[in-house]
Amino acid sequence: MRRRLTLNQQRAVQGILFIFPWLLGFAVFIAKPFVDSFIISFNTVDMMAGFSLKFVGWQNYVEAFTIDANFVPTLLRTVRDMSVNVPVILVFALFTAFLTNQKLVGRAFFRGVFFLPVVIASGLVVEQLFKQGAGTLGGASDTLSALNLPGLVTMYLGPFADTVNSLLSRINLVLWSSGIQILLFLSGLQGISSTQYEAARCDGATDWEMFWKITLPNLTPILLVTIIYSIVDSFTDKMNPMLNLIKNYAFTGQFRLGYAAAAGWVYFAIIFAIIMVVVGSSRWWVFYSGSRD
Amino acid sequence: MAKVLEGLRSKTVGQPWFLIYRRKSENLFFRLLMYLVLVNIAYTFLYPVLYMVSTSLMTIEDFVDPAVYYIPRAPYWENYKLAFDGMKYDLALKNSLIIALVSAVGQLVSCSMAGYGFARSKFPFRDLLFGMVIFTFIVPPQTIIVPLFILYRQLGWIDTYNPFIVPSFFAHGLRGPLFVIIFRQFFMRQPWELEDAARVDGCGSMGIFFRIMLPLSKPALLVTFLFSLVWHWNDFYEPMMYLMKPQNFTVPLRLSILQSTLNEVTGGMAGELFNEPLVMAACFLVVLPPLILYLFAQRHFVESIERTGLVD
Repeated sequence: MRRRLTLNQQRAVQGILFIFPWLLGFAVFIAKPFVDSFIISFNTVDMMAGFSLKFVGWQNYVEAFTIDANFVPTLLRTVRDMSVNVPVILVFALFTAFLTNQKLVGRAFFRGVFFLPVVIASGLVVEQLFKQGAGTLGGASDTLSALNLPGLVTMYLGPFADTVNSLLSRINLVLWSSGIQILLFLSGLQGISSTQYEAARCDGATDWEMFWKITLPNLTPILLVTIIYSIVDSFTDKMNPMLNLIKNYAFTGQFRLGYAAAAGWVYFAIIFAIIMVVVGSSRWWVFYSGSRD
Repeated sequence: MAKVLEGLRSKTVGQPWFLIYRRKSENLFFRLLMYLVLVNIAYTFLYPVLYMVSTSLMTIEDFVDPAVYYIPRAPYWENYKLAFDGMKYDLALKNSLIIALVSAVGQLVSCSMAGYGFARSKFPFRDLLFGMVIFTFIVPPQTIIVPLFILYRQLGWIDTYNPFIVPSFFAHGLRGPLFVIIFRQFFMRQPWELEDAARVDGCGSMGIFFRIMLPLSKPALLVTFLFSLVWHWNDFYEPMMYLMKPQNFTVPLRLSILQSTLNEVTGGMAGELFNEPLVMAACFLVVLPPLILYLFAQRHFVESIERTGLVD
């Protein structure tokens, strides 16, 4: 005779029922392709013969790092772009969130405008726009050139001038991808209770001190979320050169699916390592206030 | 004068101007500077859109004429007509709308259920599985694209809507894991008392979810729906992978083959007709539907993340 489940067991079964579609989807659309991709990366795939595999060991990986003239430079460029773009986006988003968190005339308008790129930034449209120079004209770029910033950078920053100037030339594009981050910071700022500021003010703290001792520590949990989001966003961005490189390996010319899988795996390993470093370091700099269970 | 300067200094000593919290600044100068910076940033953000709209209404003569700056001599609507034909906009719009709407509905249903399960139930390996949700979010599409392509090919899903629609009904698809996380955070903040009361009254888990939690979660449902819609609309990478025949193309894909389609439609005239104003008109047609949606639902987009408690 079937034993009746305890209440907790019933609840567990119901919980599993709720996540069951997700679990199924995870198995079919993520877990299996993920493992398959790993296996394929050690093989060559014959597309004509029903995707039959031929084991070649580490050959795909060796080729990516030693023979392929595109892979390593593109990879390095992607990582370099990420490490420059993400801090710029974070600082800009935090700054903008501060500004739009104040009592302003037209606050709704500004918030609406800053979020606009999230809605209309269709990959190809952005490409077309910025190809035509809309990325280097207008707004922030004009201001920077008016200050002769590119010239100054070349003069004073020497070896880093290239990186910085390439950022300056793309600055509008970089700022364009900070909509979600502005929103995250805004909600973070609004989540800080005003009593902390009032108490600090009674104790004679200046705004400057309050920023470093109240605002920033309270924002660190959101900062962590925002950093991870920005890193992932940067690595999977539509205009990311790596995206096209891997697609071209797989689906143009010789249809080298095995090689593309190996490239995809190297790419994943690097993203994963970077995110693990960020998450791992977070226990030294993320501050959780109040009670958490 | 000296007195004014002195007053200015005493108010701002030791604090940069931009760190004036919600307290109203009494200092006119710094307020002006702040507006200047904001207007400058807003201009940066709006510039590409303004450029797109103004260029799209120019004739090619206006476009190359340096005397014409921003405002064309007379709005030239022919670009839009050509762009409409050149992208087969009616057909592409239908494809895009089906993919975006059906996928958004799928993600709405499946992600809210998964989010609720993770937020409110205890079962073995729950935290490990939720870790997998986050893991899914950071796996780049490039890593799994090859096996997925093979899978879809074997299922005969290439050139159908299935590669977009089916995963979204299983809480995956475009940024599906992000929506699961949003829903989990949202449900975790809801009071237990409602649920307990319903349980005492004899309501089962499904009843609680559909009759109590879902009606409560309108803000989270709305944000998921809007974002899913817009992200699916703008997606380029996956449609490019799985759609081969032009008649199945979504609107952004159509933009990429604008020149050749135009050539076909006009009988080899594209060489003369294809120019920057036309491309900008086509771009504007691509962003128009999300733009309209945004104009009506702007408030929900911007406020929604705060209300869903994603950041707690």
